[in-house]
Amino acid sequence: MRLLRNIFRRKLRAFLTIFGISIGVFALVVMGALAEKLTLLVDGGVKYYADKVVVSGDTQFAGLYSTPLKASLLRDIEHVSGVTRASASVSALLDEEIPAVSMGNIATIQAEDGRARGYETFVTKVAQGRELKNSDVGKVVLGSDVVKKLNGAVGGHVKIRGERYEVIGVMDKTLTAPDNAVLLTMQDARSIVHADLPDAVRDGVNPDTIVSSFAVYLEDGERPEVVARRLERQIDGIDAMTPLDFERQVKQPLAIFTSIIYAIALVSLLVGGLSVVNTMTMAVSERTREIGVRKAIGASNGQIMRQFIAESAVIGLIGGIAGLLFGLTIVTLGNAAGEASGNVLFLMTNRLTVGALLFAVGLGTVSGLYPAWHAANLNPVEALRYE
Amino acid sequence: MSSERADAVVETLYGGAADEAAGAAYIIQVRELVKRYQLGRDNFVDALRGATLDIRRGEMAAIMGPSGSGKSTLMHIAGCLDIADGGEVWLNGRRVDTLPARQLVNVRRREIGFIFQGFNLIPTLSAEANVALAAEYAGHSRGAALERARELLGLVGLSDRMRHAPSELSGGQQQRVAIARALVNDPGIVMGDEPTGDLDTATSAEVVEMMRTVNRERGTTFLIVTHNPEVAEACDRVIRMRDGVVIDDGDGTPPGA
Repeated sequence: MRLLRNIFRRKLRAFLTIFGISIGVFALVVMGALAEKLTLLVDGGVKYYADKVVVSGDTQFAGLYSTPLKASLLRDIEHVSGVTRASASVSALLDEEIPAVSMGNIATIQAEDGRARGYETFVTKVAQGRELKNSDVGKVVLGSDVVKKLNGAVGGHVKIRGERYEVIGVMDKTLTAPDNAVLLTMQDARSIVHADLPDAVRDGVNPDTIVSSFAVYLEDGERPEVVARRLERQIDGIDAMTPLDFERQVKQPLAIFTSIIYAIALVSLLVGGLSVVNTMTMAVSERTREIGVRKAIGASNGQIMRQFIAESAVIGLIGGIAGLLFGLTIVTLGNAAGEASGNVLFLMTNRLTVGALLFAVGLGTVSGLYPAWHAANLNPVEALRYE
Repeated sequence: MSSERADAVVETLYGGAADEAAGAAYIIQVRELVKRYQLGRDNFVDALRGATLDIRRGEMAAIMGPSGSGKSTLMHIAGCLDIADGGEVWLNGRRVDTLPARQLVNVRRREIGFIFQGFNLIPTLSAEANVALAAEYAGHSRGAALERARELLGLVGLSDRMRHAPSELSGGQQQRVAIARALVNDPGIVMGDEPTGDLDTATSAEVVEMMRTVNRERGTTFLIVTHNPEVAEACDRVIRMRDGVVIDDGDGTPPGA
């Protein structure tokens, strides 16, 4: 209570300082939540790619679209040494147009031939309804985010590319790519991909043989890099992606992006910290006489120093809590708005919450060090004479 | 204790013996204090030029003198708030001017109380919290400090004003809170630097009377720097200073003899 009364002696100044800190913490929370979400997405990708090599067509557009492969390649791939199993999948964007700006996950349609069962370690379970079977033509299972975007529910119908599909299941939340996936049968997915092909190409392609990519599972002890190079050497027109390739392509740029995001937030927090230094320096100057009195009635240098550091830390804490609440509000509202379009941008984690608060208190404390040291070392007689 | 009686005690017990033995009778002894304030490179003020003074235990003494005569500086150094450039300070028979800063804090906490001109209460604390603060600094728990504070506020007649903020108290009441704060750790001596400087005549007389009562009833020594002749008149002894030295210690004897 005494601390708060001291801090709020100058109400406007205290408010502005706390506001400064809270803007910094707000930036840290929002930017941090963005980085946490992206990190999770990429970690999901890393997990997905961890135990296999993914084979796709060698001409790609922005990593999202590649020329279709032929189903017959499956046999060729499984004949390459080191390969124990291959599984075909068909995928495409849910919408015909690629969204111009998308920070989160892009919604996709996905279909698998089911041959990965028992080999795949990245398994997403069905939360409601049931799993999709090869015979479920005209039916879909939806990811936990895309279900909201499509406004679907188990037993109901959704429209995809103008066609009606029955929803038979909704997937568990994974916080990563599968949340934005629509799972259909190979047959349905193939007809969508076929329709997407440029006119000049479409006529020459048999829709029943279209494959977007193969997940290639390796024999025990095989190194993905070695098998990937072997696949590329032995089969024409393919691109084999290893876990290491994924890390190189995605994880490293993400690390840079994350650093930039945090750097921006930290700069704004540092500006807030400087305003704490300013406020505490002014407070010490205004209370010079009081410091003299406190010393005369028995306060040690340490007691004076602790008092001002505590005030400064509490300014940081209040600013931290305010910024955190503000940030949480924006993140929650942003995610609620994003869910409708299947674009969940933010992820609040415990480490971010605790980290932001600790950082705010730490910043307040550090910002108070010099003013507190100055206060503690005032000469009591000079302080008492101060007008 | 009156100054005559205190003198008699000193004479009987020690017959003007060495300083250490006299410590029992004198609460403060300062010897040849020198203090120079350096204002610029070639600009300085010699605030004290060899001031010597004895304060008897239990007396109420006033220090008077023109502005710049060194009264406040003498009080600050005797009260362990400032450090002299030369000379000695003895408090309760112990030399204190050579103590490190950390120990001087303990001396200020337990052995000396201060009252200032302009009251100098902490504006964000209630009357009782202001008084308790000095006890907290001396190491008492907040509860024990508050209990002691209430007791002393009762002593200075402010039982009904304990929860009031300083801004809700009159000047006289504020100075009584300051007296209670000075007494909270039971110091042997209370030093007042112009304690009535901001008060009107009637209130000033009231505060002086309060100090006089504490002095008589509790035996607390008072050393008061003042410009006010009425305050000086109420004291047992008036010490006069000029140009950084004591020119009359009010006893008719040369100081330190």
